Amino acid sequence: MPEGSAESPNIDALRERWLAQLAAVRTEAELKTLADEFLGRKSGAVTALMKTLGGLPPEARPAMGARINALKQEIESSRDSKREALQASRPPAGAVDVTLPGRALPLGRIHPLMRVRQEVEDIFTRMGYEILEGPEVEDDFHNFEALNMPPDHPARDMQDTLYLATPIIGGIWGAHRAPLGAGSVPEAQVRAATLLRTHTSAMQIRYMKTFRPPVRIIVPGRVYRRDNLDLSHTPMFQQFEGLVVGKGITLADLKGTFEAMLRDLFGDVKVRLRPSFFPYTEPSAEVDISCRSCGGSGCSTCKQTGWLEILGSGMVHPAVFEAVGYDPEEVTGFAFGLGMERVAMLKYGVDDIRLFYENDLRFLNQFPAI
Amino acid sequence: MRVPLSWLREFVDVPGSADEIAATMSVRGFAVEGIEPLGELDAVIDFEVTANRPDCLSIVGIAREVATAYSLQVRRPAVRTAATREPARSDTRSASPADPAAPAAVEEPPAPDASLSAPGLHLVSLKTVEKADVDVVIENAELCPRYAGAVVDVKVGDSPAWLQSRLRAAGVRPISNIVDVTNYVLLELGQPMHAFDLARITGGQIRVRTARSGETIRTLDGQQRSLDPAMLVIADAERPVAVAGVMGGADSEVTRETGTIVLESACFNALSVRRTSKRLGLKTEASMRFERGADPRLPVTAMERACALLEHIGAGQARGTVVDRYPTRVEPRTLRLRRGRISGLLGVDVPDTAVRRILEGLGFALRDAADGWDVTVPTRRVDVVREVDLIEEVARHHGFDRIAPRFPALVAAAPLIDPRIVQARALRGVMTGAGFSEAVTFGFIPSASASPFAADDDVVPIENPLSESFAVLRPSILPGLIDAVAHNRRREQLDVRLFEIGARFSRSGGERRAIAMAWTGAAPAEHWSGASRQVDFFDMKGLVERVCEALALQATTASDARGWLVSGCGASLAVNDTRIGVLGQLLPGIAERHGLQGDDTVFLAEIDLDAADSVSNRSGFRVEPLPRYPSVTRDISIVVDASLPAGVLRRTIREAAPPALTRVYEFDRYQGKGIPEDKVSLSFRMVFRAPDRTLTDAEVQQAMESVMAALRSRHDAAQR
Repeated sequence: MPEGSAESPNIDALRERWLAQLAAVRTEAELKTLADEFLGRKSGAVTALMKTLGGLPPEARPAMGARINALKQEIESSRDSKREALQASRPPAGAVDVTLPGRALPLGRIHPLMRVRQEVEDIFTRMGYEILEGPEVEDDFHNFEALNMPPDHPARDMQDTLYLATPIIGGIWGAHRAPLGAGSVPEAQVRAATLLRTHTSAMQIRYMKTFRPPVRIIVPGRVYRRDNLDLSHTPMFQQFEGLVVGKGITLADLKGTFEAMLRDLFGDVKVRLRPSFFPYTEPSAEVDISCRSCGGSGCSTCKQTGWLEILGSGMVHPAVFEAVGYDPEEVTGFAFGLGMERVAMLKYGVDDIRLFYENDLRFLNQFPAI
Repeated sequence: MRVPLSWLREFVDVPGSADEIAATMSVRGFAVEGIEPLGELDAVIDFEVTANRPDCLSIVGIAREVATAYSLQVRRPAVRTAATREPARSDTRSASPADPAAPAAVEEPPAPDASLSAPGLHLVSLKTVEKADVDVVIENAELCPRYAGAVVDVKVGDSPAWLQSRLRAAGVRPISNIVDVTNYVLLELGQPMHAFDLARITGGQIRVRTARSGETIRTLDGQQRSLDPAMLVIADAERPVAVAGVMGGADSEVTRETGTIVLESACFNALSVRRTSKRLGLKTEASMRFERGADPRLPVTAMERACALLEHIGAGQARGTVVDRYPTRVEPRTLRLRRGRISGLLGVDVPDTAVRRILEGLGFALRDAADGWDVTVPTRRVDVVREVDLIEEVARHHGFDRIAPRFPALVAAAPLIDPRIVQARALRGVMTGAGFSEAVTFGFIPSASASPFAADDDVVPIENPLSESFAVLRPSILPGLIDAVAHNRRREQLDVRLFEIGARFSRSGGERRAIAMAWTGAAPAEHWSGASRQVDFFDMKGLVERVCEALALQATTASDARGWLVSGCGASLAVNDTRIGVLGQLLPGIAERHGLQGDDTVFLAEIDLDAADSVSNRSGFRVEPLPRYPSVTRDISIVVDASLPAGVLRRTIREAAPPALTRVYEFDRYQGKGIPEDKVSLSFRMVFRAPDRTLTDAEVQQAMESVMAALRSRHDAAQR
């Protein structure tokens, strides 16, 4: 009896093993391999068990033999039904192998800077802004002088300018607004362009000289500076100009607008205004968001300050209003410039600005298709 | 502006660590570039001073800001008479009472060993005289509103250690006790100064005049420089001895042998210094301050400070007089600040007491007026010229964080989004849907890259390019796009499909928008079901047709042989007579110059979007009723000269067929067995339909006969 009680668990264990492995079988080849493992004439597990009968006391042999035979039959019959099931699931004649790859209709990627651009355009469209483009080549008046930067103004050093060797005609803008009525026809290019605009702010002037307040516009576009290529500078980059002018517009409106926009762009961030200087705004403010890497406690990304500079802004300088024929006693306004590269770098964790201009497909393809 | 904390604390007893002070000041308009510890107890804070605040390019200027931020007072210097070291009269010559740099109460004389440590804030009072041991003449008062000169007997040597280490902490290299004192005053009060060796000033004369043509000067940096009549110089009786406000001359430099010096403390015209500095390519601590605007009231106070320091460190003895040429006294301006305007611009009510505390702390004098205050602006505040500048001062120190966010009310519906932006978005959808990824390349390219794509005299060069890589405005987007293709091919990307939308520039056409595309590699993509094929002309043409469809353009193509195209593999694109684009295979030689392999087959296309807009047929679109009668389809196969463009045959068919021909297209083209050499077999499929009835067989048959007759007579076509 002690031996018999030792044999029974063997049979049960073998059965369990069979059932477990059978359940995992996916192909007829696998089934045959498994069946051989149990029933094979030479090394099958059941065959081996059968061979142990000879070592049992004669009186125990019949019962044990019967039990082993029962197991063997059970295995054979479950093998047969599994085989039938596998055969039944064979694909019909002419069936396609659905697991082969399809013919590729490749999807390209929108450039990350343009993703950012479209996102920002959408945010401001929702806030009731007009979105329009302006020329990339400009004249001194629109790029500097009307923005309170007369010739020889020291602030011009902040924006090292690229000049054209020969003046050309700048790009058209606002053509779609012409049918709106008298007085709304955009100013023609009265001056030939002599430089590459250093900021999209030039369009503030063109727009205000053409249209009366209220103004609420976003101007996305490329701008150029005489900067060397390095980790954080490119001689050409992309900006958004924002301009809001009307009765009773205040710095508080600027702040609320930025908080709404920056939360749409970056999620739940804190927004901080810091006094700064731009000739065409007064007061002027740099706008920071709380560092997303460290949450504001200080890290290498934010140089331990907890804040990341994201845009420059301010209340439109009265001299700018005077240059375009608006009355600064009647209207006030705010303006801002936001760098698309800066947003994209922070948003997507890009640490080298040059990646945006190499157009390496291994970089571009990392961005979602839509 | 590097500010050692210990120096700052001579002017204001500001509590807290460097980090705390930096955090406070960075939200008041002084961003902090860095903080460096200086020994155990001290630190240097590097403040970023914006271009409008030359008054803060000094320790005392920063001190005023810190004091205002912390509601503290700035300590004022005490005055002693020269030589006698006796308390002197209170000096009223140089500033308003609110000016912290102005002398005030008398302090105790320095301790006997004072030269071993930093000085207190004392001045040596100097008596203004018409002519001392030096004669000063301003010939051009417009460019030099004030010039003060004082003679000091000196013993030139090294400065004491405390002075040297303070200069070093502030980022200035010690040179000699005399030069160090002038630099010390520059850093402390913001007044640039210069010391001349009196023995080398010919005639004992200082003449402030413009340079004469042909004059030169060897400046302190050893450079020989040519001067021109627009530049202001300091001259002696004979020659220039300094470029005014920029740099002194080497010939009159103070040396170890110098026994007597003339100290200069002056005010020069900002624009003049800026132009001179630019023209000479010479930027100095002095020019940087003068070109942003100097305080005309500071020179004599600075002179008195310098004399006190020279005496304090035992470097010299002032003679007690100063020649102060100040032809037109500069009066401080007064501005009206309206209470309502503050809240109207900031969107927050700032209490009157806060307005007063802030402005007075910064040195402004306030007098109540009907709707606010009349505010007198210290002459050093060259940036404060209108009411809004005062409001900025209030906003800075009241704190932007105390402004509650609001949202501007919409008073009118926004006009429609710029259709060009809508178009660019749609094109991005079309192109990415075709498997093309968007590139963004620079607007300027090397001139060698531009030349195959535009006539040399149509390219717009940059006057001051940073390098040859950015020498000209791109006449086409294609060169930049080819670079991007090459970049990818060199990085194991076999199939490259890129597009870009952007501006391009030419002298004849100005700035115009375009879309460009580049394609190399397999088309269609590799698949297990069949052999792969390289992109060819008709892949690119298909893409271009797709873009034209998206732009609502009925464009036709004609072969084109411009220089960058492989001969016979290029086409121009036109709508009616307006050329809108080009497509074709890039010449391998050009591809190689961009870093591609010679056997890389690259197809390119570019469409002028401004031109496309002018001929696009999108507006006024209306639907047509669906056809009510069946169509009849007929095929025709002909053999013609292989050189005859299919487009010409298609036009003949259209012209010969009745209006019922609604569509004609090529469905087979064959050359080879059974077709004579230099001939081709072309098969056209024609679809006829009338809007008002079912066409009869006879009608269609007649149409086919006219078509065949026309093909035969015009093109010598044979029916197959």
